[in-house]
Amino acid sequence: MTATIGGTSTALVEEVGTPAPAGGPPTSTRRILTTITRDKGALACVLFLAIVVLMAVAAPLITKLSGWGPYQFDSAAINSDLGGVPHGALGGISGKHWFGVEPQNGRDIFARIVYGARVSITISLSATLLTGVLGVVLGMLAGFYRGWVDQVISRLMDFLMAFPALIFMIAILSSLPAGNRPVLLVVVISAFGWPYLARVIRGQTMTLANREFVEAARASGAKDVQVVFREILPNLRGSIIVMTTLAIPGYIGTEAGLSFLGVGVSPPTASWGQMISSSVSWYSVDPMFFAIPGAFLFLTVLSLTVLGDKIRSVVDQGAAA
Amino acid sequence: MLVGLVLSGTLALSACSGNATGAADSSAGPGGKAAQGGTLQVLANAGFSHLDPARGFDGGVNNVYRLIYRTLTTQGAAPGAEGTKIVPDLATDTGQQSDGGKTWTFTLKDGLFFETGAPITSADVKWGVSRAWDPELGIGSPYAKQIIDAPATYQGPYKSGDLSTIQTPDAKTIVFHLKKPYADFGSVVAQNTFVPVPKGQGAGNQLDSKPIASGPYKLAEYKPGASLKLVRNDKWDKKTDSVRAANPDGFQWTFGLDPATIDERMIAGQGTDSDAIAGTVQAASIARIQTPQLKQRTMSGLSGCTTYMGLNTTKKPLNNLKVRQAIEYAVNKQTVRDAVGGSTLADIATSIQPPTVAGREDYDPYPSADHKGDIEKARALLTEAGYGGGFTLTLDSRTQPKMQAMSVAIQQALEPLKITVKINPIDTSTYYEVIGTPSQQKDAAITGWCPDWPSGATFLPPLFDGRLITPKGNSNLAQLNDPGVNAKIDEIAKLTDVNAANKAYGDLDKQIMALAPVVPLLYEKGLMLVGSNIAGAYLHDGFSGGIDLVSVGLADAGK
Repeated sequence: MTATIGGTSTALVEEVGTPAPAGGPPTSTRRILTTITRDKGALACVLFLAIVVLMAVAAPLITKLSGWGPYQFDSAAINSDLGGVPHGALGGISGKHWFGVEPQNGRDIFARIVYGARVSITISLSATLLTGVLGVVLGMLAGFYRGWVDQVISRLMDFLMAFPALIFMIAILSSLPAGNRPVLLVVVISAFGWPYLARVIRGQTMTLANREFVEAARASGAKDVQVVFREILPNLRGSIIVMTTLAIPGYIGTEAGLSFLGVGVSPPTASWGQMISSSVSWYSVDPMFFAIPGAFLFLTVLSLTVLGDKIRSVVDQGAAA
Repeated sequence: MLVGLVLSGTLALSACSGNATGAADSSAGPGGKAAQGGTLQVLANAGFSHLDPARGFDGGVNNVYRLIYRTLTTQGAAPGAEGTKIVPDLATDTGQQSDGGKTWTFTLKDGLFFETGAPITSADVKWGVSRAWDPELGIGSPYAKQIIDAPATYQGPYKSGDLSTIQTPDAKTIVFHLKKPYADFGSVVAQNTFVPVPKGQGAGNQLDSKPIASGPYKLAEYKPGASLKLVRNDKWDKKTDSVRAANPDGFQWTFGLDPATIDERMIAGQGTDSDAIAGTVQAASIARIQTPQLKQRTMSGLSGCTTYMGLNTTKKPLNNLKVRQAIEYAVNKQTVRDAVGGSTLADIATSIQPPTVAGREDYDPYPSADHKGDIEKARALLTEAGYGGGFTLTLDSRTQPKMQAMSVAIQQALEPLKITVKINPIDTSTYYEVIGTPSQQKDAAITGWCPDWPSGATFLPPLFDGRLITPKGNSNLAQLNDPGVNAKIDEIAKLTDVNAANKAYGDLDKQIMALAPVVPLLYEKGLMLVGSNIAGAYLHDGFSGGIDLVSVGLADAGK
C-alpha cells in the first residue's frame, strides 16, 4: 500500500508547484464528477463500489433475503465423510447458497462476503479518516511553522516511514490482548499510514505559504489560524482528495493481509482476508472458496485504484490549467 | 498425557484398531514385511519439544524416544491390544513385588551398553529416574514422582544428591520403594523417566541437544526446528531386545514443513518421499486420497485420545451443575467433528475414556438426535438454574485453524441459549501453560488427553482428582474437587486386580459425567498416507496412534 502512495507523492509535489488560479478551483468537484460519468471504466468502478458499499450498509437485510446468516452452520451442505468438502459442483453453489458454502462448517459464503465487506469498508474508511486528519494537521503544522516544529514532525515521519511497518503491525497485534480488534486495526494501520499524506501536505504548505496571496492576507492583518484555514487549506483540497482515495485500497489490502496472517479481526467475524487465508489449504479441492473472496478483494482494490487515478488526473489537469 | 499437539503435524495422532478403514493389512501396502537397511524419511510440521526423556511427554516424542532410549519395561510392538501390553525391555521381567506391592525389584539383562560403550548399570537407571524430581527437568511423565517414595525436599540428583528410596544392591539389581502399594508398577517403569542416564551426566539442557543413546539409534545431527538425523547405535545388541525390529539404518526428520506441503509431497511420492512417513493428512486432502492407488498407502485408526472441553467449575455460573449439564446437552458434536475434518478424522465422543481404554463402557449420558445437541432440554435446564437470559463464557483456544474452527462450532452451538462465547486466542506454544495455571485459565478450554497406558488409572485420576489441583501444570482443568469422586479414586487405587480396577474406572467415568465437568467432544482418528516404499507400518495404540517407529522400515532398502 505504502509504495504506491509514496510513488505518487513526489509527482504531486511537483505538480502543485505551478500556480493555481487564485481563489482556488471552484468547480473541481463538479469537474471530477462529469469526467467520471463520461469515462466508462471509471463508471464501472463506481458502480461496483456502490454495490460493495450497499452490501456493507444493508448486510443484515441482504442476508435475510438470501436466508443464511454469516455464522450459521449448514451441516447438510457438506460431506462429513470427505473431510467436509461442500456437496455439489463449484463449492456448493446452488439456489440455497448463492456463492456456495465454506468447507468443514457449511457457512454461507455469500453472507460472509456481504458481512466481510462491512469489515473491509468500515476499517478502511475509518483508517483513511484518521490518517487524513493526522496527516493534514501535522503536515500543515510542519510546513507552516517550519523550525523546530517541522524538525520534530519530519523526524517522526522519517522514523515511521523507515520502520518495517508490516512486521511491527504483526508483532503488536499478536501481542495485544484480543480486545476490540477492528479499533486496534484502525489505530495500528493509521499510526503507520499518516506520514505519507503528511509529507505531501507539508511540501505543499511550504510552497503555498510563500505565495503572494498568503502574503497579501498576512499584510492585511490575518492571523495564523485564518491564513491556514482560509488561504492554505482550500488549496490543498485537490491533493487531499487524491491521496485519500488512493489510500483506501491500500488500507483494504492491509486489513485483508493482516487478517490473512491471523492478526486481523478475530473469528467468527467474517473478513475477506481471513476467508482467503482459510481457503488456501482447500485450493485444489474447492477452488471457488478461494476465487470468490479473492475476486471481491481484487475488484474492490482495483476499482478504488482506478478511480483514484482518474480523480488525480482530473485534479492535475485542473491544477495545470 | 496431554495430546501431542505440538506434534500434531507429525506422528502424534491416530491409532490402529478394529475399525481401521484403510488397507493397512494388504500385503503390498504399508503393512508388508520390511527389509533391513535404508534411511526412513519423516516429514513433519513441528519439531520435538524435548529430546531429554525426563522432559518430553506426548505421544509423538514417546514414540521417537523408543528409537534412542530403552526403559525397564516397554509397550509391545504390534497392532491392536498387543501393542499396549507391557513387556520387559532392559529388565529381565516386568518386576517382582514384595511387601504387599510396596517394594518392586528389577534385574537388568546382560550385554546392555550405552552408545559410548559403557555398560548400563542399575546405578545409571537410578540416576535417570531420580532426575524426575529435579524441578527444572522433571516436567515430563509425573508417575515416578507420584508413586515412588521420596523425601519431600528431594530435588533430583544434581541438587539433592542420592535418593535413598531407590536402592541398587549390585550393578544388575534395582529396588524401588513406593509410597503405597501399586499393582501396576510394571507399566509405570515403561515411562520415559525410567531411561538410564550415565551417572553424573545429563544436567541442564545436555540431553536435549545430545541424547546418550541406549536404544538402537543414536543422534548424528540435530538442528532444532529444521532436521534430525538418527543413525544406528552399534553398541545396541539386538539379542537383548525383543521389541525393536529397528530395520532401517537411519531416520531423517525434516521439520518446519507446511502441513499442506507435506500432503502434496506424500501424494506425489517423488524421490526420497517414497521412503517417507508423515502425520495425519489435512481435512482438505481427504477428498484427494480416494483413488485406489492412494487408498492402498493410507492407514487409519483411532488415536486413543479424547478431545474435550473442560468447564471450570470454580467460575460462575459454571459452578452450577445445571448450567454445565445444559452445555453438555447443547453442544453440537456434529459441527465440532466437521470442524476437525469430518467422520474420517474423528468419532464423536460421549464418555470421557476413549474406546481403546480397557474397561470403558459405551454410553451417552447427554443424548441428542445425531449428536446435534438438544437445545430444548438445555434451555429448560438453564431456566431452572436461573440463567434463562444467558451469560457470557470465555473459551480459551489456540491460535491454530483447527482449534479456532472447533471453538467457533461451540460458539455457534451455544448461541441459541443466549450464551455468548468469547473466544480467547492463546499462542500455541504457551497454551498448556496458561490453561494449566488456575489463576490464568478462563471459563472453558478445549484440550485433549491420551492415556499413558490404556487403563483408566492414567486417565481419570489425573484429570479429576481434586487433590491434584496445582497452581501450575494443573491437568484438572475443570478444577473438580468432588468428595465422592476423590473417595472412589482412592477406593479403586486399592484394588489389586487390574481388570476389576479397569471396570471400576468405567463406572467412575459415569459418576464423573453426571457432574458434567467436561464435555467429551471427539475421539480423533489418524489418517496417514505413507510412501510407496514403506513396509512394516502399523498404527500403535500406545503412541497416540502414531506409526510405530521401531517396527517400520522400507520394502526395498536399496532403492
